[in-house]
Amino acid sequence: MIFEKRTERIFLAIFFLIALCIPLFLEDNSFFVGKITTILILAVFVMSLDFLVGRVGLVTLGHALFYGLGGYLFVIITPEYEAVNFWIYAVYVMGISALIALVIGAVVLRTSGIYFIMITLAISQMAYYFFFDSLAFGGGDGLFIFMKPETSIFGLSFLNLDNPTHFYYLALLAVLITLLVIKIILRSRFGRIIEASRLNPERTEALGYNIFAFRLISYIIGSTLAAYAGLLFALQYGYVNPQFMTWEMSGTALVMSILGGLGTIYGAILGTITYEGLQYLFEHMSEDWMLFMGGAIILMVLLLRKGLAGYLEKLLEK
Amino acid sequence: MMANNILLETESLSKHWGGIKALDDISLQFHDRQLHGVVGPNGAGKSTLLNMLCGTLKPTSGCILHQGERIEGMKPWKFVRRGIGRSFQKTNIYTDVTCLENCAVATQRRFAGSFNLFASRHANKPVRDAAEKALHQVGLADRMNTIAAEISYGEQRQLELAMVLATDPCILLLDEPMAGMGHEESLRIIELLNELKKTYSIVLVEHDMDAIFELSDQLTVLDNGTHLITGTVDEVRNEPRVKEAYLGKDDDEEAA
Ligand SMILES: Nc1ncnc2c1ncn2[C@@H]1O[C@H](COP(=O)(O)OP(=O)(O)O)[C@@H](O)[C@H]1O
Ligand SMILES: [Mg+2]
Repeated sequence: MIFEKRTERIFLAIFFLIALCIPLFLEDNSFFVGKITTILILAVFVMSLDFLVGRVGLVTLGHALFYGLGGYLFVIITPEYEAVNFWIYAVYVMGISALIALVIGAVVLRTSGIYFIMITLAISQMAYYFFFDSLAFGGGDGLFIFMKPETSIFGLSFLNLDNPTHFYYLALLAVLITLLVIKIILRSRFGRIIEASRLNPERTEALGYNIFAFRLISYIIGSTLAAYAGLLFALQYGYVNPQFMTWEMSGTALVMSILGGLGTIYGAILGTITYEGLQYLFEHMSEDWMLFMGGAIILMVLLLRKGLAGYLEKLLEK
Repeated sequence: MMANNILLETESLSKHWGGIKALDDISLQFHDRQLHGVVGPNGAGKSTLLNMLCGTLKPTSGCILHQGERIEGMKPWKFVRRGIGRSFQKTNIYTDVTCLENCAVATQRRFAGSFNLFASRHANKPVRDAAEKALHQVGLADRMNTIAAEISYGEQRQLELAMVLATDPCILLLDEPMAGMGHEESLRIIELLNELKKTYSIVLVEHDMDAIFELSDQLTVLDNGTHLITGTVDEVRNEPRVKEAYLGKDDDEEAA
């Protein structure tokens, strides 16, 4: 069983049950379906960050770089007025993102601790300004996606990306696959060494493992998943711009993952939903919603040392 | 005894920290199937020597030869792959996981590809069997499924040793493995080392003089970063400089 904790199984069962049914109740409210789709896409992004920060031990502040790249790469490599195949181009986008992560990872992983935080931040800021200043990539306005891709597999097409409900299920599928991929990796032999490297890097090296290689592969996996989330986000809204890769984007995702319970993976889903839910609530309550939001986050992080998942586990385990 | 092959060798090995000569111009030879004791007062440079022999510390000058090949510039994990395993003076284990898992990290490299992203870590029997065997060797079998943080300090010292054994090295570098263990456990480890030295080459740093005299085929005395003498236990014990610098009267009488 890759889901070891009872709490985890209960939460995920409830989550997927509700998530599967939601569009049935909101059939004619495409605004809400769209809103929840966005949250699901964000959850994929936050899970990929939670994996890197909480499980591999790589505290990156530049994760949004890959979120943005997912969108940009798609627009850059697709012909402008042609509906390409979604799955094929998703593989292309993820492949190129993986290569970029390999190069960046090979540089940033030579540092650790606070230097790692600084250099990941610096690189993503460089990318931000590069896209912001480049005319070819649309500067601050970014690039638009004129044709939504088609999604046929072997000539069979189930999903129409122009349909919000269909897009919703595509995002939900992404959540499921990301969750499974990360959990399977964590349980694997590779995951054992990742865990060991986080708990005690010195010892792990003294047992014969090249931890640089393990971290690099993890970094590539996390970044590629983030790119996939970015691709979905760009497709949902039909554009990509430099705002995708701001440091605020990276920082917010980090807050969501801490709020949910760092390293718990399913907590990232919980944290994303809670954060977005609170924001929606406060936005509609008051002009000064940022203030309330900040206060609420600080309170929750202080009260729930191990995040929402940690709190639930205290209630439900044993 | 002297006919045994030289497995590991240092040539004029030095480590300086700023002005401090933690180790200066040390040339030693470690033989196959021998236990080579290293003693000396606190701060003599014993841990520094071991840290260089396993690659975690890079020498200021001099070289380390493994089977005739220079290895001092290599990464620590390459040392392990050449069969050089080490234990730490300060217990260095994975406190958050079980004792078995601690050893399984060590054995996995030998039996299964660690870059496998899909196969469950629990699914490999040889990995588990070898990890269990290492725990048996040091007498920790009954603690297999206990979280490492929850066992006693002495038991953590045993686990520390089990993890090195689990890497199945040819050369064992042990930094005060018995420090902090109870009497019973120490005796068990001495017995184990006596057994192991028939097949491994062991470099043992230890404060317990009785143990070191009993176990050592070769004994090196370091003092303040310098190499005083290397010889058999009797040669070292009868060396006046050693008596003066380090061993003192009590140890001499006790061992006699
Ligand atoms: N990281 C370090 N920085 C500065 N000096 C060090 C460092 N590590 C060890 N030393 C010094 O090197 C000398 C030898 O230390 P060590 O090898 O730990 O001795 P031993 O293990 O024989 O007690 C000591 O004087 C110690 O203070
Ligand atoms: Mg020492």
